[in-house]
Formats: sequence, structure tokens, C-alpha cells
Amino acid sequence: MTSNGVTILHVEDDPNDVLLIARAFRKAESAAQVQVVNDGEKAVQYLAGTDTFAKRDQFPLPSLVLLDLKLPRKSGIEVLEWMRTQPGLKRIPVVMLTSSRQPIDINRAYDLGVNAYLVKPVDFDALVEMLKTVDSFWLRVNEPPSPNKD
Amino acid sequence: MNPAHNRLFGSALQSAPVPLSRPDPFPRVAVNEDEPKVNILLVDDRADKLLALQAVLKDLNQNVVVARSGKEALRQLLQTEFAVILLDVSMPGMDGFETAALIRKREATEHTPIIFVTSLNQSENQITRGYQLGAVDYILSPIIPTVLRSKVSVFVELFKRTEQIKRQGERLRQLEEMAFKRQLTEAVDRLEAETKRNRFFTLALDMLAIADFDGFILQMNPTWVKTLGFSEDEFKSRPGLDFVHAEDRPAMIEQLERLREGADSSYFEGRYRCKDGSFRWLGWTASPFPSERLIYIFARDITQRKTNEQKIESLNAQLKQRVHELTDINSELEAFSYSISHDLRAPLRSMQGFADALLEEQGERLDDTGREYARRVVNSAKYLDALLNDLLDYSKLSRAELERERVDLRKETSELIALLENDVKKRNAQIELEFASEMVSAHPATLRQIMANLVCNALKFVPPERPPVVRIRTERRDGVVRIWVEDNGIGIAPEHCDRIFGLFERLHTVQDYPGTGIGLALVRKGAERMSGCAGVESEPQRGSRFWVELPAA
Repeated sequence: MTSNGVTILHVEDDPNDVLLIARAFRKAESAAQVQVVNDGEKAVQYLAGTDTFAKRDQFPLPSLVLLDLKLPRKSGIEVLEWMRTQPGLKRIPVVMLTSSRQPIDINRAYDLGVNAYLVKPVDFDALVEMLKTVDSFWLRVNEPPSPNKD
Repeated sequence: MNPAHNRLFGSALQSAPVPLSRPDPFPRVAVNEDEPKVNILLVDDRADKLLALQAVLKDLNQNVVVARSGKEALRQLLQTEFAVILLDVSMPGMDGFETAALIRKREATEHTPIIFVTSLNQSENQITRGYQLGAVDYILSPIIPTVLRSKVSVFVELFKRTEQIKRQGERLRQLEEMAFKRQLTEAVDRLEAETKRNRFFTLALDMLAIADFDGFILQMNPTWVKTLGFSEDEFKSRPGLDFVHAEDRPAMIEQLERLREGADSSYFEGRYRCKDGSFRWLGWTASPFPSERLIYIFARDITQRKTNEQKIESLNAQLKQRVHELTDINSELEAFSYSISHDLRAPLRSMQGFADALLEEQGERLDDTGREYARRVVNSAKYLDALLNDLLDYSKLSRAELERERVDLRKETSELIALLENDVKKRNAQIELEFASEMVSAHPATLRQIMANLVCNALKFVPPERPPVVRIRTERRDGVVRIWVEDNGIGIAPEHCDRIFGLFERLHTVQDYPGTGIGLALVRKGAERMSGCAGVESEPQRGSRFWVELPAA
């Protein structure tokens, strides 16, 4: 089974993390297409298919959203909250990938229906391991929801 | 009335008894059985005459006493008081006149009425002499019973009246005496009570006063002078309100108004001026006495209490301010920890990640020194990450509310050992759990953290060539469970045994024994936050015995 044609939307403002995670995905040998946006507002636009993200063939709906918490313009929590109210988006699995281990952040994310909460490890190898797990679980093992067209 | 008629001759007394049934022309003396009987003395030397007289007087129902001679009469008079004496003039030896003279001489009998009984043939001269001797009347014999009875009864009545008057006089005197005594007693009591009251008033430590409705003090005890320093005259010369602190005056005026309207006693507090210009707090209770337009005042110096209250108030305010500041500091700390957790970690990740990328992708272009430097960057980043994690744990432990529950120490420790399986294997170590189920009152996560630190230390601080042996056992005493974690490691010099529980205290270099210097600080802080404590017994090269005490549950 291959994850060819599968898209991951990575919402991350830190360019270093963007680079490192892209590298880690490569090392994890993920076949997913990783689309990156740098703030919460862009994430909303991407998911809604508006503004610069209007072309769905260029910016396909993701099978998984990797969401940072602390983001410019709109926080990860706000993006998650918004997604869960959108009929066409509410079933898309969302995995928090953040630095915060604060219970308040973790619990809030779960309250809003996050599918997993991951803390970015400092150790790069650990990051690679983590992304391997994400790729295999969410994109291969897990049975995805059917897109909600209502 | 014909004296000849109805006359009873002495000699004919027995032959002609007194016709008692005949209507008596003189009103009979009403005989009251309740009244005490009076004494009547009959003096005659002749028994038949005495008998006749007794018979006549029987109707009067009084005490009749007879005497056969003047001497006997005098003897009787010494013993008894008589209402009247019927005295025969002609008696052998001491005759009636002589007897009468002697009777008159005695003070007690000076005024006792004497009726002389004499025969008709006695001369006018004799009668005159009798009157001179104090006779009040004469009865001529032969006696006419009704006349005798009526004459005697007059004296009986007179005596009775006199007695009655005397008795009444006596009663009256007694009554007066009683009334007087009562008044006297009352006066004494009043005086005593007043003295007591005055003493109470004078000696009272509280300020007592009586003021009029205009607020002028009329009477005051010395405590006023003692407390406020003004003289009594100074107090009385001005209305009381003049002494009241300007800020308290409106309230005081209101109180005075209420009292004037007859409102019942009320308590209020206000400042009163002292002679030296300072003010003292007085607690007042006042009661109006409207009928006399007076106010009774009871005041107490409450300055000390007020000062204390103000002190407490200001301390409370300070405390509140302090709590407020601490809350601020706490939320700042919270934000700081958040920032450590999130923002400080991001660049670390980059350092580590890119150094790693450098080694991997550009490693061939670096020489050994270059690669060594890159590795040092990686290790430093890892170390800083561990440090940040421990610091976060420590600060969380200081601030967070630790809710305790019943925790099975054995279960928690077993689970922990299972997690450490890799480390145990790597070091070829041995962990011995030497206790059965043991319940303690603890915050589960904190307990796990403490045990993890102690067990990891026990595995870590052992020379590399020696396989670690860790013994975990418990002691229970006085509601406390002491958990021992004993190792066969390098040990600690006694002088360092307490220091190592301090934050960032290390005894070895990171190269020899890696660590952040926070672990044991975390152990002690955690134990203390759960009402326990922690310590160590050790000697260099002889292993360490760390212990933690927690409340049993």
C-alpha cells in the first residue's frame, strides 16, 4: 500500500521546524505530499479553498493536518475549532505537533476533538521516529473517514 | 327616790335577799365576755356584809376580791390593780380612813377610786374627812343594791375605758415605734446603698456620667479626668459634643437626638479629645431617662482595641496586596514556564536538528574536529532540553495543587521498574523489591517522579565496572511510611548529604555522571508537597541509602 497522492497539511510558522520536519519526513520515507502554510489564517484559507488556495488540484484537501499550537494570526486551537464546525472538513484527522506540554493546551485540544497530540522532540532521530509512526498509523493503518459532502 | 325604800339593812341581808328580778332603773353595764375582767376590792371586817356586797356585785361579772381588814386590803393592793375599792369606814384596828390615807400615799394606788361604805348615822364631818382623803363617793348602809351596782359599774367602766385607752396608747406607741424603726432602717439601707453606689461610681474603671438633654455632663466619675486629662470643671463647662472628634460629631449628634426621643440604650464608638490634643476612642452606651431629661452614660476607653483593629486591618490589606502580588508572580511564572516549554525549546530543536543534518549530510566535508564540534552542539542541545524539562517539572511541583489519594507503593514501584527495563539490562543491574503492598497518601504522578529519580540515581551513581544492586524496602511507624532506596554505588560524603537536595547541586561533572542537578531537589520538594520529607544516609564508596517519608494511608 502506498500513500501516493495523499496530502498532509503542515501548519507551522517556524521556518527551522518547517525545514527539519520536511527533512524528517524524507528520512521517514513518507510518500505523502506535505503542503506547508505558515499561519492559522492561511490554514483556514487552504482548507476552505479560498484566496490563493482556490485551485484544489494544486492544493488538494489533506488526509491529515499537522497543526502547531502557537501560530500567527490564528492559533492552532482556533483553526481546530473552526474545522470542527465545517461540514466538509470536520472529519479530517488533526494531529497537534507542538512544543507545548502544558496540560491546559493538551486538554483544550482534546476537548475540541483533536485526533492526537504530539510534542516535538528535541532529538532529531526521535522526530524521525515520531513522523514514521504518524505516517504509518494515520496514512496506512487507520481507516480514513469518507469526505462529508453535506 | 325614797332612800328608805329598797334599802338593804346590813343585818337583814340574809333575810331579805336582793330581788334580782326586779327591773333595774339604772342601765346595766353591758357585759362583754371577751373583755378582760377588772378587779374590785371589798374591804369590811364583817363577813356578812362582805357576802351581801359580793352578791350585789355578782351581776357585774367582774373579779371581786375581799379583804377583812385595812391591812389585808393594803396587801391585796400591793399585788393587784383594782378598778375600785369599797372601803368600810368603821373597822376595828385600822379604820377605813386610815386605810384610805395609806392607799393614797402609794403612788400606784394614788388615784384608785375609793368608795366609802358607812352607816347613815355617820356625821357630816366624817363624810367631809372621807372626801378629803380622796374618796370619790360614799355609799350609805344599808345598801341599795341598784345604787351600789350602778356606782361600782361606773368605776368598772371607767377603769376599763382607762385601760382601753392605755392599751390603745400603747398600741399607738408601738405602731409609731415600728414605723419609726422602719423609716430608720430604710434610711440606713438607702444610705448604705448610696454609699455603695457612690463607691461604685467613683471607683469604676469605666467612665460613668450623667448628662442632661443638652449634652452637658452634670455628674462624672474620676475616670474621665484620668483618661482624658481634662478637669471635671472643664468637662462640665462645655457641651460634651465639643470634645468629640469632628468626623464623629454628626453620628454623635444623631445618637443624642435618638436618646432625647427616648430610644433605648445604644452602643456607638467615637473619638474624644484629650487635654493634650490627642484623641482617644471611646465605646459608648447611653440610656435616656426622659422624665428627668437625663442621659446615663457609660463609656469605655477602647483606643487599644481600635489601634489593634487598625493594625490588623492594615496587615490584612498588606497581606491582600502580598497575595495579589504573589498571584501576579505566579501567573508570570506560569507564562514563563509556558515560554520555556514552547519558545525556548524551538531553537534547541533547530540547533540539534541542523547539527545532526550537518553531520549527516555534510559530514564528509568536515574533519574530525569539525564533526566533534557538531556532536558537541547536538549533546549540548540535548542537555539543555533535559534541563528545561526538569526545571519545568520542578516549578510545576512548587506551584501545582497536588491532590493526594491512596496509592499502593508496591504497585507504582513495580510499574516504574518495568519502564526502566532497558536501563536495567544495559547496566546488568539488579533491583530487589523487599516489601509487600504498602498504602501511602500521595499524588500518584509526583510519587512516580520521586521514585523514578531515586531509582535512576541508584542505577547511575555506580562505577561502570560494578553491576548496580538496588534494594527497595519500607518501614512503617507512627502513621508514616519510610521508603528506602539503597544502592551499592559511589556513596556521598556526610558533609554533602544535605547539600545534594538543593537545586543545581552536583558533586560530579556531567562527563562522569550526566544529570541536570535537579533530580534530588525534585525528590525533596515533591515529598514536602505531600506532607513528607526526604533524606540520605551514606558514606563514600559504601553505597547510599536514600529515603522518603510519606503519610501512611
